[in-house]
Amino acid sequence: MAVNGEALMWVEKYRPKILSDVVDQHAIVESLKAFMRNPKIMPHLMFAGIPGTGKTTTALCIAYELFSMQNWKNFTLELNASDERGIDTVRERVKDFSRYSRGAFGDVPFALIILDECDQMTGPAQTALRRIMETSSRTSRFILICNQSSKIIEPIQSRCAIFRFSRLEKTAMVEHLKSIAKKENVNISPEAVERIVDYSEGDLRHAINALQTAAAYKENSVVDEKVVSQVIGEASPKQVQLMLNKAINGDFMEARRIMYDIIGTYGFTGAEIIRQMQKELFKISYIAPEQKAELSNILGEYDYRLTQGANSDLQLSALLAQFTKAGITLGENS
Amino acid sequence: MKNDLWVEKYRPTTIKEVIGNEEAKTLFTEWIGNKKPLKKAVLLYGPPGVGKTTLVNAAAREYNFKIIEMNASDTRSEKAVNRIATPASSFTGLDKFSSEIKGNMLFLDEVDGIAGNEDRGGVNAVIKIIENTRTPIIMAANDPDLEKLRPLKKICLLIRFQQARIPLIIMALKKICEQEQVKYEFEALEKIALNSQGDVRSAINDLQGLSEEGKILTLQDTFALSLRNKNISMDETLKGYFAAKNVAEVASFLNSSDAEYDDLLMVIGDNVARRYTDIVELAKAYDYLSQADVFRGRIGTENWHLFKYFYNNLAQVAAVNPESYKPFEFITPPPIRVITLFWTKTKRTMLASICTKIGNQCHVSKYEAKMIYVPYLRLMLQQKNKTNTLIEWLKLTSEEVTFLTSLKMF
Amino acid sequence: MVILNKNGFKLPRVEKEKFTLLMRLGLEYNSQKMLFSIKHYNNINQLQNVLQDILKSEIAFTQTCIICGTDFGCSTCKYFKACPTKDLPFSCICNQCLRPKKVMQQQVLF
Repeated sequence: MAVNGEALMWVEKYRPKILSDVVDQHAIVESLKAFMRNPKIMPHLMFAGIPGTGKTTTALCIAYELFSMQNWKNFTLELNASDERGIDTVRERVKDFSRYSRGAFGDVPFALIILDECDQMTGPAQTALRRIMETSSRTSRFILICNQSSKIIEPIQSRCAIFRFSRLEKTAMVEHLKSIAKKENVNISPEAVERIVDYSEGDLRHAINALQTAAAYKENSVVDEKVVSQVIGEASPKQVQLMLNKAINGDFMEARRIMYDIIGTYGFTGAEIIRQMQKELFKISYIAPEQKAELSNILGEYDYRLTQGANSDLQLSALLAQFTKAGITLGENS
Repeated sequence: MKNDLWVEKYRPTTIKEVIGNEEAKTLFTEWIGNKKPLKKAVLLYGPPGVGKTTLVNAAAREYNFKIIEMNASDTRSEKAVNRIATPASSFTGLDKFSSEIKGNMLFLDEVDGIAGNEDRGGVNAVIKIIENTRTPIIMAANDPDLEKLRPLKKICLLIRFQQARIPLIIMALKKICEQEQVKYEFEALEKIALNSQGDVRSAINDLQGLSEEGKILTLQDTFALSLRNKNISMDETLKGYFAAKNVAEVASFLNSSDAEYDDLLMVIGDNVARRYTDIVELAKAYDYLSQADVFRGRIGTENWHLFKYFYNNLAQVAAVNPESYKPFEFITPPPIRVITLFWTKTKRTMLASICTKIGNQCHVSKYEAKMIYVPYLRLMLQQKNKTNTLIEWLKLTSEEVTFLTSLKMF
Repeated sequence: MVILNKNGFKLPRVEKEKFTLLMRLGLEYNSQKMLFSIKHYNNINQLQNVLQDILKSEIAFTQTCIICGTDFGCSTCKYFKACPTKDLPFSCICNQCLRPKKVMQQQVLF
């Protein structure tokens, strides 16, 4: 069986196994290595930074290096705050874990708890987390991962050594993609790599997924820009784009139908839809920048109303109606 | 299993667990536990879905009786009653006091269904059986006042069942949510319970229908509930609402209408685009509607002093331009949102399951799996021959693969 | 409104006829403690009418909370208006036991 434990998503297959291999976060890696040499002094850690910059990878590397490749799973609890059902579940799992893991491995006097997407937790849940950290601090170290450290309550921040992961350098991403392509025997043109990196907005996972897809798509021996463009086109939020275009060009009813279609299939919340509209809005080429700003303000207003209101799809419908209206004046001006 | 009906899954199996109706439970337990009850038959009456059948089955289990059941779907002619009921009553009745398994109990559910020409003689047959048997007979009825049951009432112990109290229903729903790991807003359960009018069964069914794995059950999800079984008057309300000549008229119309404000909000949301064909008017109307909704959100379940702002905005929606009013055909409940979410529930459940599997292998949350893995994965899977190992690695079922490959990008 | 404890309440002296009526409608009388209590509930509406007549006031029976066991009156209940079985003596759940610890819940994706 080819599965054999070997990862088949390239993101996993080429996820660094040692700290030194983590892409483009040299300063952070260097300071963490000190803890690896002397684990006893390792405090709780917090990794903050935009998605796809290596936070989870670095956390996993720490686990591998502390407990070895064979044993890390016995000493590491990996949780994702946005997937767990509330802080009580988190507490239970941490409690169970610290009870059954031996809490010590060789020189390492603790077990590791990696908690991803902490900034998705509410204030009260974070307060509870703080207590959990306190009660289990003798046996466990936490690595908290978040996008914005400002969304984490002060008492937790002050208990952690905070590491800020910066956006990856374009050149580093290019190099990394090239090396993966080489190992996979994929022949890819430099322009194609550039195109992928530009599209991925600094998220390496995004880029690697695009690369793998492009490799699966290629018709002849080379992955060129054409293939990449095709993949990117297929993988971009077409329906969100269509909804925006329909609204701006006066077809409110169709825009609203598409909105329900997206909500129905993907189960997005209102805020998530607005976030995507925001992103796609700025890609539309036929609208002038100042008009985009105007539309963006409307988005902001309804983003706020969503948090206050009771019916998210009613707010989204109202938003689309405002866009349709704004679309008329857009047409008159141009 | 996901396909289980929660009403069945959580049907109480002991007398103690049956919700509410403590008094009725006591009376019934006394009767069933009594070796020489004063009356051989008992008639449980009360509205549907409050636990009559459940209590009978739970009690039978605790007191070791075997239930032989008939209900209104059986033909209730005298012949049918005799054929089915008589053996149960006379053959095993003799054993009732002597054996471990105390024997059979005849349970006639929905006896008020004994009606009309088809069931001529049904009541009399039942009375005859009661008179000639030593086997306990239990009957259940929804409407105790039917004239034709009168003869029955004389020879039975009557036990009245009430609708379940709202707090009791909320508590039951909470328990189920905890068992099923459904997260909820308290207000949502409150609304389901209030809407059920004391019918526990329908409350539990509603809960199951509304909750989705991994999603919080919100107050918003429950807004459509009260629209389900009605509502002719909603059409009238909409007509009056949209046809009003000015804000004052709309306002007074809203005040006199007995339509539920949450229902109104949704239904107006579905219809406002039909009312205003001019986009400038429509945008304005939607703006008011959006603000009405904002106030609805702020009101929650407590800040009712904000209600007037909600209503004012709702009134403005209809009064954007009375001149342009032309009669139009309404979209009546259930609202588009409800229909959409109902028909697409399977899709979302499947996507959620796929994303969980991706999350397990790739150290990402379900949301990230949806945003940056699913879009590419579906393209990779479309290239059939190269991807079998990938499918195996992610542990996807063939159903999930088919779903993914045909999934439209959001 | 007078709230009566369903497990034992006092009444002013009543004529024999009324007393028999009360017994027939489902009351029980403990002559030692001189307390009335409810024995069965099938005629509760009529019973209530008779008692209101005797006490010349609206009456309600106490509820017993099935969770904590306290007795309480319905007038404090948030759902009083919407209650389908208003005023009837039953077990119920008191506000304190029903209302959950206030947990702020966040919209989880999916």
